[in-house]
Amino acid sequence: MSDIRLVNLTKSYGEGNAVSEVNLEIGEGEFFSLLGPSGCGKSTTLRMIAGFIRPTSGQIFVGRDDITALPPERRDIGIVFQNYAIFPHMNVAENIAFGLKLRKLPKAEIARRIEAALKQVGLAGYDDRYQRQLSGGEQQRVALARVLVTEPRILLLDEPLSALDKGLREEMKFWIKDLQKKLRITTVYVTHDQDEALTMSDRIGVMSKSRIVQVGSPQEIYERPKTLFVTSFIGHSNVLDVTVTGREGDMAVVVLDGREMRARGAADLKPGASAKLVVRPENILMGAALGDGEPRLAATVLSETYQGALVRYRLKLGSQEIVAERQNQAHVERFAPGTEIMIGWDPGWSEALTA
Amino acid sequence: MRDEAAVSLLFKAVAMLTLVVLLLPVVIVVLAGLNAGDYLTFPPKGLSLRWVVAFLGSATFMSAYVYSFVLALVATLISTVIGTLASLYLSRSRSGAAAALRGFFMLPVVLPGVVLGLALYIFYVTTDIGLARTFAGLLIGHVLVTCPFVIATVTASMVGFDLSLEEAARSLGASPWTAFRKITLRLIAPGISAGAIFAFIVSFGQFETTLFLTVPNHEPLPMAMYISLRYKFEPTAAAAGIFAIALVALSTVVSSRLVSLRRVFRA
Repeated sequence: MSDIRLVNLTKSYGEGNAVSEVNLEIGEGEFFSLLGPSGCGKSTTLRMIAGFIRPTSGQIFVGRDDITALPPERRDIGIVFQNYAIFPHMNVAENIAFGLKLRKLPKAEIARRIEAALKQVGLAGYDDRYQRQLSGGEQQRVALARVLVTEPRILLLDEPLSALDKGLREEMKFWIKDLQKKLRITTVYVTHDQDEALTMSDRIGVMSKSRIVQVGSPQEIYERPKTLFVTSFIGHSNVLDVTVTGREGDMAVVVLDGREMRARGAADLKPGASAKLVVRPENILMGAALGDGEPRLAATVLSETYQGALVRYRLKLGSQEIVAERQNQAHVERFAPGTEIMIGWDPGWSEALTA
Repeated sequence: MRDEAAVSLLFKAVAMLTLVVLLLPVVIVVLAGLNAGDYLTFPPKGLSLRWVVAFLGSATFMSAYVYSFVLALVATLISTVIGTLASLYLSRSRSGAAAALRGFFMLPVVLPGVVLGLALYIFYVTTDIGLARTFAGLLIGHVLVTCPFVIATVTASMVGFDLSLEEAARSLGASPWTAFRKITLRLIAPGISAGAIFAFIVSFGQFETTLFLTVPNHEPLPMAMYISLRYKFEPTAAAAGIFAIALVALSTVVSSRLVSLRRVFRA
């Protein structure tokens, strides 16, 4: 059963829509990410779920309850803000006690829960500290403890890692994911960082220009992008101009640089139409790595960039440029600039999309 | 610790001069009030507490002092509440009306007090709404004059106020009122206290607007001092000035102590 259901959720401001007809079902205990560039409507969607913004139209359900009209304090939804919003005039213990006192729990119970919560987030003994005495990572843990201690039905996280430096961000990514898994709390995570979304999520909803453009597991989103936007927003991709010539089973047949090849593609690709062929740099096979089944294309090496674990090549394929990446393993073939080589890819790892 | 040496000597000298110019009248009033002579003169002819005693024994001055105190207190209470509410609106509303209203609310500061007093007086009299020469009418005048000070300080303390603090409180289960009381109000309290002190001081010393609105036989202290000087030129008025200064100084010290204690508590 789905835990959160958004039905035709729309928010318009004056002339434009911040969020347009978003329909989503998020399962119980699921870690769901809303991923998109700034201004795509992901934060507005989150704030509507939290109750800070009233939708122009549409509904929000939690379980069987329509919560669209409920004020935030009656939604039982916890939220962690980008800047953590630790109350500066209260110490850590008072911050965590805030929600519990409002629930009129007995003092002993509050004290017990504060201690347990601080232990859970690894901040035992931090009771008396104030916000200004905490690092960014510590503030985030306090913000999480403050929310989790009230045992909300749903946890919302609004870009919680964006204010942290890179090292800490990596660490917190896994820490938050582990905590979420342990508590099995339905979580909606808003981010513009594809790495965070891919690493942490059970499913991702990619948003662009106020709409959800694709929903799927991290693997589906990365490997089977449905639109050029998703392709370009998530990871690096080669986007090549091709012409559609027909279909072969459930694959599309396209012509690239005068060569006919198969690619995965939706049935609505019409023969004769121009399209884009999307291939990830890591899926491009070069030289001896190329098998028999793959189409073989002649390319010229333009440059080779050594990146440690990876070696990156810029290649010229007819009139188009293409980027390839190879793992820098033992005995791997290296190609100097100017070298003429054969390249190709598994058709199952290439995607034809409407231009 | 700030590095004192970094402040240039010239700057220090100018600051010192300004301070002297500002404080000199205060010193003169205090000395004049401690005059041993029969008339208000400076420098005083010897020091004595004679006029201080006269002030304390004067029914006119003492009742004026209490009257001004009560008036300032009530005006401050009303201004603080109204001014704080207005600041909340001004700092949170994104509508164009807010920008226009901000200027409008500040008008009483820009407008000469005499003009405001005269305007109110004419309004009270011509509309015959029973406010002319009443305590309520005078109070309205004082609220108008003191409110901008509260609005200015509270609005300043709202700058950079993080709204997500209030939202966090709401999602933790607080009603809008509880979130405001337990979060916002606590955080802007220093601004509100500062505004209240300003309002009190301004109301206690208000003269020009008061001139038109006083209730017959119930003069506030500044009026009483003025009347006394016009007819007698006795140092009692200066002695009253000592007590007025003392009250203002005391309220400032007490309030700033309260505010900074809160700061210490927060640190």
